[in-house]
Amino acid sequence: MNGWIGRCLRVNLTEGKHQIEKLDTDLLEMYLGGRGLGVKVFTDEVDPNIDPLSPENKLIFCSGPLVGTGAITGASCNVITKSSLSGGLACAKMRGHFGAELKYAGFDMVIIEGQSEAPVILSIIDDRVKLVPGLEYWGRSTAETEELFKKNLDDSWMARETYLVSIGTAGEKLLPLANLVNDRFLSVGGAGIGAVMGSKNLKAIAVKGQHSLQVADGSRFVQVINTLINKLNSAPLTSQSMSQWGTAFLVGLCYQKGILPRNNFRSTSQPLKNIGIEALNSAFALRGRGCFACPIACIKKADVKYSAFEGKGMVPTYLAIGSLGFNCGISDLSAIGVMSMLCGEMGLDPVATGGNFATLMELVEKKAVTPEELKIDISFGNADSMIEAIRLISTKKGYAKRLGQGGMAISESFNMPEIFMGVKGLSLAPFDPRAIQGMGLHFATCNYGPHHLYGYTFIDELLNVHENLDPLETQGKASLVKRYQDTSAVVDSLGLCNWPLMGLKFNNYVPMVNSCLGTNYKADDLLSIGERIWNMERIYNMKAGFNMDHDTLPERFFKEPVPDGPAEGQISHVKEMLPEYYQLRGWSEQGEPVLGLEE
Amino acid sequence: MPRIRIDHTKCTGCRHCEAACSLNHVANTVNPRRSRIRVMRDGNRYYPVIAGPFVDAACTSKQYIVIGDQTYDMCALCRASCPQKPYFIEAETGIPLKCDFCGIPPSPSCVRWCNTGALELVED
Ligand code: SF4
Ligand code: SF4
Ligand code: SF4
Repeated sequence: MNGWIGRCLRVNLTEGKHQIEKLDTDLLEMYLGGRGLGVKVFTDEVDPNIDPLSPENKLIFCSGPLVGTGAITGASCNVITKSSLSGGLACAKMRGHFGAELKYAGFDMVIIEGQSEAPVILSIIDDRVKLVPGLEYWGRSTAETEELFKKNLDDSWMARETYLVSIGTAGEKLLPLANLVNDRFLSVGGAGIGAVMGSKNLKAIAVKGQHSLQVADGSRFVQVINTLINKLNSAPLTSQSMSQWGTAFLVGLCYQKGILPRNNFRSTSQPLKNIGIEALNSAFALRGRGCFACPIACIKKADVKYSAFEGKGMVPTYLAIGSLGFNCGISDLSAIGVMSMLCGEMGLDPVATGGNFATLMELVEKKAVTPEELKIDISFGNADSMIEAIRLISTKKGYAKRLGQGGMAISESFNMPEIFMGVKGLSLAPFDPRAIQGMGLHFATCNYGPHHLYGYTFIDELLNVHENLDPLETQGKASLVKRYQDTSAVVDSLGLCNWPLMGLKFNNYVPMVNSCLGTNYKADDLLSIGERIWNMERIYNMKAGFNMDHDTLPERFFKEPVPDGPAEGQISHVKEMLPEYYQLRGWSEQGEPVLGLEE
Repeated sequence: MPRIRIDHTKCTGCRHCEAACSLNHVANTVNPRRSRIRVMRDGNRYYPVIAGPFVDAACTSKQYIVIGDQTYDMCALCRASCPQKPYFIEAETGIPLKCDFCGIPPSPSCVRWCNTGALELVED
């Protein structure tokens, strides 16, 4: 088989058994792999109404067909489960080298079922699948877990080539903010997944192997990749901005357009000098790290200037700076760096964690709760106490128990649900939807909550790469959102990264896909697969309890105009755009996909 | 004579060079363990190492090498396809591997796919 390995590993933790299955080739054609295939298998096997933390929930790791083949940025592995934070589907994208190594270990997909009695680590090394007792790793940070596991391998050569994904203490304690961390410091993104893995008592998965991958037409494939590398190098965003600063370069741009939120989405202005790329340059020495086969290398390591970050830290990304920093009123980059590192160590999702604290801070400001009651001085701009609180939440001891339940639960427990800035239980990624309308529509309708990585409208609305669109305009945004949502489903299913789209057109991927897999797809064929995947996810979420009432944004964005900055006076027009969006998707007026759309 | 110059400070650890090398030597096949260039990960740094020949006499003692503030096992940075380590041994056939300066002139396959300047072709 080209690209795909064609094998799936099913591990039942309750019984401590595993079996190897063949993948159904028809499914591969219809859903590609990665996100598409993972979601298909998940939705077929798991009842939408189960408790996410029960043994009935499953956890699926699925690498796309292009992963590990050398296709540019072919590195990502998707993690699919029912989220403990939203109750709907969760699908997180794991970058780095784990996905490729999973393929070399001989599997496209790993399905985790049941619940182990004692902590275990799943080790898939050189064709030996084992459940290793994990008690000595329990309670350790993600970085320590990886280090200790490699030490215990007793073979430094083998250790060098083994890649891990693990949960930190947050996941162990079933914190709804928990996610997974791989390759020591890369946050997998997707809150609630860490808790699911924790509930299964699975501390980590380790992979290494020697399997070869086949590509259909090697010489054409090599040529296509040469061209794509040249294309990336001639586009300013992928050759300079991303390679030099990673996504953090967006901070300055978003600030200029009034998109960067502050103090729980209530303001946008802030002196830029503390947070722009110059500040980033002086706070960290930026050394690039790349995911497997990535010519861009947007991941920036932070261990050069601060020894505290040695081996763990990563320069905060746009998400971390926006969510943990700015939206909590904090603009001190080294404090944000520490918070982002702590999140990585403990396995916390930066967006959900930032949203959690921003909610808490507004509650304190509105005097719904006093710092004395919380026993910690949580308030906008107070970085020290926030660092302290992040350290505390995963202990879940005493008063810390109340601090980490997730923004929605916290705001509801104080009877002020309107303060939670999120959709479907998940916190908003740091883009103010009033200042970027298309993104707002995407946030309202996304199957995975308000996250920009499932619909990259900012590429055209903010960066103007392929089209020069005004972020405040609503005309044509519904079709833009649909197109980028479908694109994200395809890109995730193939196992590619979204960032090259800042320099390449989606069409540029097509020859790479075809020469690798030996297929004859056209761009539209792929996009209709993307649409099919999107509909399938939607249908599952509706069965899990979501409906059109959830396709909305917090009331604040409709009622309170942006008070200051370049987008002053704007409100969100999601409600006006929604009917057109449903129509484009071929859904009913109630936002229900008509029968057959998922097939 | 043209040479490949390796600048490890620029290497991002992306291993695209490994994929390129293996694709160029085994038809339509990708497997880093069949590549003649491997990127050694040690601590937080990455060192691309290009496979060379092994001679018994060259290596009768263990050595350490200090770079900056870190001490490395010399074997990790050594290019010999030596029987003591699992690197540069063809994963499927067990044959020791050596770089043959492959690819379409003027750039060897690995250099062409290395986008950071960590691998560069120089003339001297
Ligand atoms: S652009 Fe960044 S996230 Fe994407 S594959 Fe490259 S290094 Fe990874
Ligand atoms: S020059 Fe060719 S054979 Fe040598 S390491 Fe590079 S790709 Fe491999
Ligand atoms: S392709 Fe270049 S940057 Fe990437 S691992 Fe190889 S030498 Fe390093």
